[in-house]
Amino acid sequence: MEAILNVQSVKKSYRMGKILVPALREVSFDVSEGEFLTIFGPSGSGKSTLLHLIGCLDRPDAGEILIEGVNVLKLSDEKLAELRLKKIGFVFQFFNLLPRLSALRNVELPLIIAGISEREAREKAKEIVTLMGLEARMNHRPSELSGGEQQRVAMARALINNPKIVLADEPTGNLDTKTGWEIVQLMKKLNQEKKQTFIVVTHDPHIAETADRIVYLKDGLIEAVKEAPRGNSQ
Amino acid sequence: MKSSKILAVAWENLTQRKLRASLTTLGVVIGIAAIIGLAALGEGFRLEIRERIQQGFELNVLIVIPGSFTAALRPPFIPQEVNSVRNVTGVALVAPLITLPQVKIYNETNQRINAFTVGAVNFSEMTQMVGERFIPIEGEIPGEDENDTIVLGYRACFLNETTRLARVGDNVTVLQINVSKTLRVAAILGKGGTPGITNFDNWAFIPTKTAVQLMEGEEAYNLILVKVSDIEQSEQVANDIENVFENPYAISVLVPIAFVRQVDRILAIVQLFLMAIASISLLVAGIGIMNIMTVSVMERTREIGILKAIGAKSRTVLAMFLSEAVLVGMVGGLIGILTGYGLSFVLSYGLSNFIQPQQQDTAFQSPGVQQSMAIRPVFSLEWTIIAFIFAVIVCIIFGLYPARKASKLNPVDALRYE
Ligand SMILES: Nc1ncnc2c1ncn2[C@@H]1O[C@H](COP(=O)(O)OP(=O)(O)O)[C@@H](O)[C@H]1O
Ligand SMILES: [Mg+2]
Repeated sequence: MEAILNVQSVKKSYRMGKILVPALREVSFDVSEGEFLTIFGPSGSGKSTLLHLIGCLDRPDAGEILIEGVNVLKLSDEKLAELRLKKIGFVFQFFNLLPRLSALRNVELPLIIAGISEREAREKAKEIVTLMGLEARMNHRPSELSGGEQQRVAMARALINNPKIVLADEPTGNLDTKTGWEIVQLMKKLNQEKKQTFIVVTHDPHIAETADRIVYLKDGLIEAVKEAPRGNSQ
Repeated sequence: MKSSKILAVAWENLTQRKLRASLTTLGVVIGIAAIIGLAALGEGFRLEIRERIQQGFELNVLIVIPGSFTAALRPPFIPQEVNSVRNVTGVALVAPLITLPQVKIYNETNQRINAFTVGAVNFSEMTQMVGERFIPIEGEIPGEDENDTIVLGYRACFLNETTRLARVGDNVTVLQINVSKTLRVAAILGKGGTPGITNFDNWAFIPTKTAVQLMEGEEAYNLILVKVSDIEQSEQVANDIENVFENPYAISVLVPIAFVRQVDRILAIVQLFLMAIASISLLVAGIGIMNIMTVSVMERTREIGILKAIGAKSRTVLAMFLSEAVLVGMVGGLIGILTGYGLSFVLSYGLSNFIQPQQQDTAFQSPGVQQSMAIRPVFSLEWTIIAFIFAVIVCIIFGLYPARKASKLNPVDALRYE
């Protein structure tokens, strides 16, 4: 299958006062279109950093990142914003919903940013919220929703623009095991039905195992890459 | 993102923090109200002053005097000189005047008539020259050939509303040093009101021929009143009149309109100065906006990070925050304008009462003449628009820094921010 993402010799350090803290030493790997990939590693290993770089939220110090063959580091900040809007969906550990907006309005936000008419955005948002099983809760604010519900809202928001790549940073990290598992299953289902590429960061080995492929990260380096142990593609 | 939507979001953000937004807006309201209020009041004050000056002058009548600050006193004007003035282009009408300050007038019961100055004039010339101020309330202005007549100013005749010194038809005695003449009272003039050069309340007028007889000398005029055909040409005509004389510096031409313009200019400067002070309060409001918005950006760092993560461009974030500033400016500007209108009414009422002089002399007040200052605020669309734009611009300028700060936030840092 064709690679939708190439990560080539990517390095990233953070400056803490006078010292440079290396977060990613040198990381290279490819992701195929429609793949369900997990990045697994202990806390502080650089998983979030890597995901942010893939998601064009930040720029690496060295190396290259290609999305659909396009070197994203050559794009302007405005172009990167557009890329995030159209091709990438983000799901975070802490949900990162706007607390003052209802679930529905959180979900329609990317469409509003894209300049789509309010009516159309509302309709599409309702559709996807229903798909996520949140019909009854869509007019509630995030604070009135359970963790699992909030993460579904976040998923709906990530998916509403029909992105090619969905990035999730420990999406189950703040949920109980059962709810977390449901979220992962939902992602798997979407991955299979819509052929969207999923890159999921986790430090839960059980969840990592559900992937087609697992990238093991430690101290900013890829330790190993493992193909699906149980043929997850079914 | 559509601009209309950005504006709507900005409005929502503001209305969700009502107290904060209102306090920020209040600063703008006060600044704009001060500017609008002072502008309206200043304009009203200017108009009032102008009107007062106009009551004391005929704006299109120049006054030529035989003398000046720079030259020694020269003799009064001779008839040829009056004729030369008459021939200057732009001169519509000339009325020479002899003043006889030492003349004393007695009525039939030998009471002194209250005239400070006796002016010798050609009555029909005077009527044409300053017609509105030369209207009798009793009798008629005498014709050309009616010599040995006298016209009394209002206060020359009336001590107060009930006590008068002469009536039309009375014979009065005019005494100049040791020459005396008996003259018939032909008319009594209406009250002039505001003091000024062409206020004739304390004057008495006699025909020129009578004056010449009294003085036992040649015709020689102490004043020439010159009506210009175009008031805008007043200065030019005055200049030409000066140049008619052998020594232009020995005479003076008073140009009332120039005086009015000068006063107008001074008042305009005072008004601008007041408004500059008022503008300072708007700047203070601007700093308030900057302060509040900076805090707001810090509070909403995470929100900004989220927006950027899901694809909002930097300039969308910038526009969102700037819109908030613009909305504060527009709402504050509008309320400020209305408040300013109200304020100027309250202030003008207070000021008018404050300036009002002791009501002396009410008995002499004739209808239509205002004794007290009544400053009415004058609103100009121009100033209103300028103030509104000013409010918005100040808000944009002071909102720009925090808005840029928000737009430049690195999304990763913003998302990590707890
Ligand atoms: N903004 C930052 N400033 C300084 N150090 C950072 C920053 N972000 C991450 N780090 C450091 O980089 C390393 C990798 O962090 P991160 O990518 O968040 O790891 P993970 O997500 O695997 O826990 C850690 O040592 C972390 O302390
Ligand atoms: Mg992390």
